[in-house]
Amino acid sequence: MNNFFKLVYNEITKIYIRKSTWAMYIILAAIIIGVGFLSNIDELSSKQYSDDNWRETLEEENQELTEEIENAGEDGVFYDYNSRLVEENNYYLENDIQPDGYGAMQFVLENQLLLSVVSLLTIIIAAGIVANEFRWGTIKLLLIRPITRTKALLSKYVAVILFAFFTLLFVLVFSYIIGLIFFGFGSLNPHMLVTDGNGLQYVSVISEIIPAYGFKLVNLVMMATFAFAISTIFRNSALAIGLAIFLMMAGNQIVLFFSDRDWAKYILFANTDLSQYTAGSSPMIEGMTLGFSITVLVVYYVLFMAVAWAFFKIRDVAGQ
Amino acid sequence: MSNVAMELQDVRKSIGKKEIIKGLTFSIYKGEVFGFIGPNGAGKTTTIRMMVGLMQLSHGDVLIRGKSIKHDFKNAIREVGAIVENPEMYPFMTGWQNLMHYARMIPGISKERIQEVIKLVGLEKAIKEKVGKYSLGMRQRLGIAQALLHKPSVLILDEPTNGLDPAGIREIRQYIRRLAEEENVAVIISSHLLSEIELMCDRIGIIKNGELIATQTVQDSTTSETKNITQVSMQVTPMDRAIEVLKTDHTLDAKSQDEALIFQTEKEKIPDIVRSLVQQDVAIYQVNSTKSSLEDKFFDLIGENTIE
Repeated sequence: MNNFFKLVYNEITKIYIRKSTWAMYIILAAIIIGVGFLSNIDELSSKQYSDDNWRETLEEENQELTEEIENAGEDGVFYDYNSRLVEENNYYLENDIQPDGYGAMQFVLENQLLLSVVSLLTIIIAAGIVANEFRWGTIKLLLIRPITRTKALLSKYVAVILFAFFTLLFVLVFSYIIGLIFFGFGSLNPHMLVTDGNGLQYVSVISEIIPAYGFKLVNLVMMATFAFAISTIFRNSALAIGLAIFLMMAGNQIVLFFSDRDWAKYILFANTDLSQYTAGSSPMIEGMTLGFSITVLVVYYVLFMAVAWAFFKIRDVAGQ
Repeated sequence: MSNVAMELQDVRKSIGKKEIIKGLTFSIYKGEVFGFIGPNGAGKTTTIRMMVGLMQLSHGDVLIRGKSIKHDFKNAIREVGAIVENPEMYPFMTGWQNLMHYARMIPGISKERIQEVIKLVGLEKAIKEKVGKYSLGMRQRLGIAQALLHKPSVLILDEPTNGLDPAGIREIRQYIRRLAEEENVAVIISSHLLSEIELMCDRIGIIKNGELIATQTVQDSTTSETKNITQVSMQVTPMDRAIEVLKTDHTLDAKSQDEALIFQTEKEKIPDIVRSLVQQDVAIYQVNSTKSSLEDKFFDLIGENTIE
């Protein structure tokens, strides 16, 4: 086991020693700072309700919003957004809850969108980790060590998953730091309003962050595994990156296109978004259940890994 | 038979329907340097790839100190250090980081051992530089260093002197000889530089079209059956008279080539020939005698350089 740990350490070293990896982190950091900067200009998110007269503030806000809605009519661009704000403000007033200001935690929650960037970076790493060894020719020196090919491949896969995990952690921590700088601490355990099947609910922001990131992780891991498998089978990182990103972007369209077929629910992308089973949402295709989706995901996962393993195990390492 | 370091037993390889290695059977002994030569496309690299488990064998087996590369890969490969084709390393890492990378994959390699190997191949100065900046010769040295890290009992080197300068070639040659003689390592070297093989190896195997057509000791190949016959080349004037003298006095069939007189004879007869030429008023400017080289032998054995 100690031996395996060293192999994973080797793979992680090879990922992080390269400048291109650090460029990815710099891009991520720049995006987070950019989003923070833009949100800071947006007055709504910077509004604070910390004074004693928060009730007056909310009422004033409602008045403004109502006027705006009336002026623009139901076709106004911000109709839905504005009426939702009014609804929320009314909820605070009715239940006599002082709303939490926009703080670092809320910023972290909003940055869940960055997980698609994390997915992208993970796909790039996953697509290169086997294919690059072939491209550099180093695969020959790697496979003439006293380790089985299965172990060599597994150490690479574990390194990809660790990379995804570190990058996710980076997004969380860096978002929080940037959130602190731009929006301040907020409260220790801030709350917010969300809509579920029973209307508005007053919930903790942290309890929202966990599922928001968690659900997107499923897609991330599946696409990274897919890219890893393609890279191992075809020894071509460009093909693996292209296919994985295309499918990640077009996945939903593919499901919609085939949605009238019986087998549409077996498509991977109909199942990767597990948040479709939470209260307030409905499954993509009728009749699908959480258990069904998890089964489909597991079958796809095992398939990707098994095919990659089979190819890697028996391949003759010949000249390019 | 405990003296055998590596044994190939009827090794065959087919790709599709074509058999590219047609049953190789030979052994390499401890403490010997074995040269593996053959024309391009003869199957040298394929054979080496099968020896180290990079390619699967279609038939037969390779035993490394009695351990099968097919069934006991981990224990068999532990005995082997190798460079397969070019010494490719991670260009974005330093020489030291590359060696550490490989050291982590085999238990029991200390930092002192790595230092020792670096010193041995003479890379102390460049070891902290990125491999991307290395010259081919430096990469070759690093390749040899990584192959030696775990003190293998079989060392397989594909074109080990490729890219080295003459001083480097000499150094590596001496080092390889020392490994074989002092540490009893079996060294397998593939090369197409025949003079190189001649200088370094104890025994050679010649492979052609996937078949081993001869194995012999280097001394055999250059002396046996030729009975000390050497090729002599002379610069003389006049040429016609010299040719005639050789024909009448010594019954030798000499010919004129590039303004030189060429013929073959036993070494002991050269002084007599020179004397008779002088007596017949032939002016002699130069006499050269060359041993029939491995190169000639090689071409005798394999014929023309064709890839089938």
